[in-house]
Amino acid sequence: MSQFDAIVIGGGVNGLVAGTLLSRRGKNVCIIEKSNRFGGMASYSVDGGPSLAHSLYNLSPRVLSDIGIDPQHPVLSGKPVSTVSLSEDGRHIVFKNEGIFWSEGTKHPESDAWTDLTQQLITYGGLLRQLAEAPPPGGQKAILSRGGLNEFLRLAKLGFGLKKLGKSEMRRFLQVVLSNVHDIVLDDLPEGPVAGMLAADAIWGSATGPRSPGTVFNLIYRLGHGGHITQPVGGMSALTDLLVEAAQKAGCVLMPETEVFRILLDDDAVSGVVTTDGRTLTAPTVLSNLAPKLTSRMTGPSVFDIETMRRVRNIRARGTAAKVNLRLKDGSLLPGLPDELARERLIYAPSVEHVEAAFNPAKYRQMSKAPVIEALKMQTADGASWLSTIVQYAPTDLEGGWTDTAKDQLAQIAVSTLNLALPGLKDHVTNTQIITPDQIENATGAPGGHWHHAEMSLDQLLTLRPANGMCRYSMGPKGLFQCGAATHPGGDVMGLAGRNAALAAMEATP
Amino acid sequence: MTVENRYDVIVAGAGHNGLTAAAYLARAGMRVLVIEKNDWVGGAAVSRSLHDGWTYSNCSYVCSLLRREIARDLELPKYGLQVIPYEGGASFTRDRDYFAYYSDHNALKREMARHSAKDADAYRGYSQGIMRQCRFIRPFLLRDAPDPASLHPRDLGELAYLVKKAHGLGSRELGETLKFWTMSIGDFLDEHFENDLIKAHLAGSGIIGTGLGVYSPGTAYVLLHHYMGDIDGGIGAWGFARGGMGAISNAIAASFKDHGGTIHTGSGIEKILSKDGRVEGVALEDGKVFYAPVVASNMDIKRTVLHHIDAAELPDDFTKAVRNFKIRGSSAKLNIALDRFPNFPAAPENTSFLRGDLHVSQSLFELEKAYDDWKVGRWSEKPYIDMLIPSQIDPTMAPTGAHMMTVFVQYAPYDLEVDGVRSAENWDEKQRNAMAETVLDQMSVACPDIRERVVHMEVRSPLEIEREVGLTEGNIFQGELTFDQLFFNRPVPGWSQYSLPIKGLYLCGSSAHPGGGVMGAPGANAARAILKHETRHGRMKGYAA
Repeated sequence: MSQFDAIVIGGGVNGLVAGTLLSRRGKNVCIIEKSNRFGGMASYSVDGGPSLAHSLYNLSPRVLSDIGIDPQHPVLSGKPVSTVSLSEDGRHIVFKNEGIFWSEGTKHPESDAWTDLTQQLITYGGLLRQLAEAPPPGGQKAILSRGGLNEFLRLAKLGFGLKKLGKSEMRRFLQVVLSNVHDIVLDDLPEGPVAGMLAADAIWGSATGPRSPGTVFNLIYRLGHGGHITQPVGGMSALTDLLVEAAQKAGCVLMPETEVFRILLDDDAVSGVVTTDGRTLTAPTVLSNLAPKLTSRMTGPSVFDIETMRRVRNIRARGTAAKVNLRLKDGSLLPGLPDELARERLIYAPSVEHVEAAFNPAKYRQMSKAPVIEALKMQTADGASWLSTIVQYAPTDLEGGWTDTAKDQLAQIAVSTLNLALPGLKDHVTNTQIITPDQIENATGAPGGHWHHAEMSLDQLLTLRPANGMCRYSMGPKGLFQCGAATHPGGDVMGLAGRNAALAAMEATP
Repeated sequence: MTVENRYDVIVAGAGHNGLTAAAYLARAGMRVLVIEKNDWVGGAAVSRSLHDGWTYSNCSYVCSLLRREIARDLELPKYGLQVIPYEGGASFTRDRDYFAYYSDHNALKREMARHSAKDADAYRGYSQGIMRQCRFIRPFLLRDAPDPASLHPRDLGELAYLVKKAHGLGSRELGETLKFWTMSIGDFLDEHFENDLIKAHLAGSGIIGTGLGVYSPGTAYVLLHHYMGDIDGGIGAWGFARGGMGAISNAIAASFKDHGGTIHTGSGIEKILSKDGRVEGVALEDGKVFYAPVVASNMDIKRTVLHHIDAAELPDDFTKAVRNFKIRGSSAKLNIALDRFPNFPAAPENTSFLRGDLHVSQSLFELEKAYDDWKVGRWSEKPYIDMLIPSQIDPTMAPTGAHMMTVFVQYAPYDLEVDGVRSAENWDEKQRNAMAETVLDQMSVACPDIRERVVHMEVRSPLEIEREVGLTEGNIFQGELTFDQLFFNRPVPGWSQYSLPIKGLYLCGSSAHPGGGVMGAPGANAARAILKHETRHGRMKGYAA
């Protein structure tokens, strides 16, 4: 008799969601996390500084309801954050639901064009969300089985949704979704900070530039839940605490500071795990929140056929985003920015070409000297003021490695880049904290420190995610499932990968 | 209106696709007129003598993609077309070594093993994968692309064919196919090989003619676009048309004329005439007017729609979509008359691979950097070059003992940046020569004496290609080969089946499905569409596909 019905390896967002969901469906679940706190990449922080993820835009309401969290929970009712595209001439551009405005309040001339384009992409995002909330199409199921029929109905629903768009919109969808953000944005908008902001939103965390085909999909993905951005009240750790609480309430056994050494196999089925401290935990089902490569290392390669191992090895995950946290002098304001905009999401992406040029060095394992930056001012629990920034591009495989000198250089680049649009910012920064992609990998196990564990490019999406032949969460031996961001539909503090994986596991072992 | 200026169909442009469409229509018994602005026919499939004694294939330079169904239907061998396959190719290193590509499998394997034993083993899997993709795609080339938004039986039929073919692959292979179509050639090669030189050699076909880099998703498909042809059934084989690429156009033109067709050269189309949404004929630059109920344009979609048709005749959203169609100039061309065979110090004596395509790119990074230069409006510092010396096999190209060399250059931008201004006007003689020097430097990696061998050299920037051939921005495919412009999205969504919003107006050039290359498929497909829509009895004579 096994100790548990299911073991989840890795207590990141998706692991917590998967475990909680299984518990709520009556399974006896244990979630194992190697570090001392749950939440994985979302709430990873260094010395109490701002966490790796700092805003929410894709958290799935469906996931929340499935794991019993009230969407109106105080932690989730943070004030919506607008986006500000910074400009060196001091005329920043504010993106709001009702249009875009100059920082002094007058309407921006590109407002209508931006609204039209964004609304169109949000509509497409709504359609694609149906695909995100279920395993990807194209499994091995017989069409007449229950699963097969469900899948057929889901695709029919998507087809109907497409049809409802009207002929010309449907055709446009099929073109836009395959296109690159450089072309789509510059077809409708002039080059500049508005276009630059859209281009930036299409490339965060990925090893692509605006000209790379498929980047519009990333932008749509980001807008899949409407594109509203919030900051959780109490920071990202409050959100992960909420998930932990939900897991406990559902009856999960949580095991922090426990590292899995090996996944145990009994013939061609999993039977449990062995931890590094020598304990054996048994269960007929194991869900791994880790990337496929690490999972396969825990089972040993012999349980997979050679093709599968080749595909796992070839999954591309090259993190390109570094986190640079700037400690600000207490009570300091952001220079060059009106007070009311100080808590918004600030983007430095003056043009599409700037974003593309920033990408160039990353291809050759260099950091970008003129990067694209997202910044959010926040206070940590100790009351300290920070500017939490994401610096794109800083590749994980930097030539020469991420030495202290390289890190210092990155911090300097980040500060001086922001200083162009916020003149004087330099003098407000008292300290910096740099989290490079390779550090993210070391801390969380995410391959290459990639936000999604696997690049979100067209050849690694849907049925091809994480790799051809393993899209339906099960992997190799019976009872082994993947539930991490490498699986469909991907990461982004969304929780759908964990949810879908839990449902797949339920279906396989009712 | 007299009988002399009335025709059943007028084809605007005597490129190989325009001629192909015209030849099919003439064979079906129609009275067809082809209008060509130049004094010669062929468009970009042309042979011209610019220096006494030498013949250049000025634009396109090798042949493989021409569909054999078309060669058969139009009896091209009978009209003088002879394609001579060439073997192999090589990439030279900067330290006097080379990687040679042989069509003999064992020789190739030995050569690969000389650079990397692992890659020699990997090649089999790689080439099988490519071959499978070629087999999958080839049947689609001579069919219409279905409109997924339409419930018309024709579209449902084509869609069903696609589903059937895809289903026939099995789910594993279908996944591999989807992946292949959406990934970059760089990533695809990185998955298989480790040696930089081998990867650089194989990657070239993925970027030729495009505004994409080797690491841009979708370039694996472009590679396919260069592999899916065949010569006498040898899939992926390339050859020279005897007498230069103009021999292809000339053979099609001869076949066309033999079936009663007329070609009018020396004056281009000024305007495509239409009234009440129906095409009426064409007005030429020299003032002549010809009438026909059907006009097929071999010009690219931008030129056709934005320069030669009244905007008022077309729906706004269509015009907007055409304006947004991407045709990016990215290639240049050098045609060189050589006094004798250049010296390739690295190559063994009497080797066969010099008869193939020669390159000097060292790594995928070097190729990707060449693309970065292009993005900001400069020609590549170290361009990808594809050079061939066809006169080794085809003695008609140069005087005895002398040789002719064709050098394709990737990347060269159309709107060249000079002093902060990006404009095609910047392509003056000074810039052209400066680019040629860059290319010659690059070539001298393989043949250091190249500068001394030059008797005459024609340098063609994207601007010259545009001016002479009419291809917008000098793009060799009449439109980028990216997902958003392929298959049912080509040229613009909703108009992928050769007809355009004006009744009787068709597109028969490479802006239409399945795209560019000296393939003839768009022309043949357009002819089929015309016969289907515009005649009662339909069915083209001798049409095999």
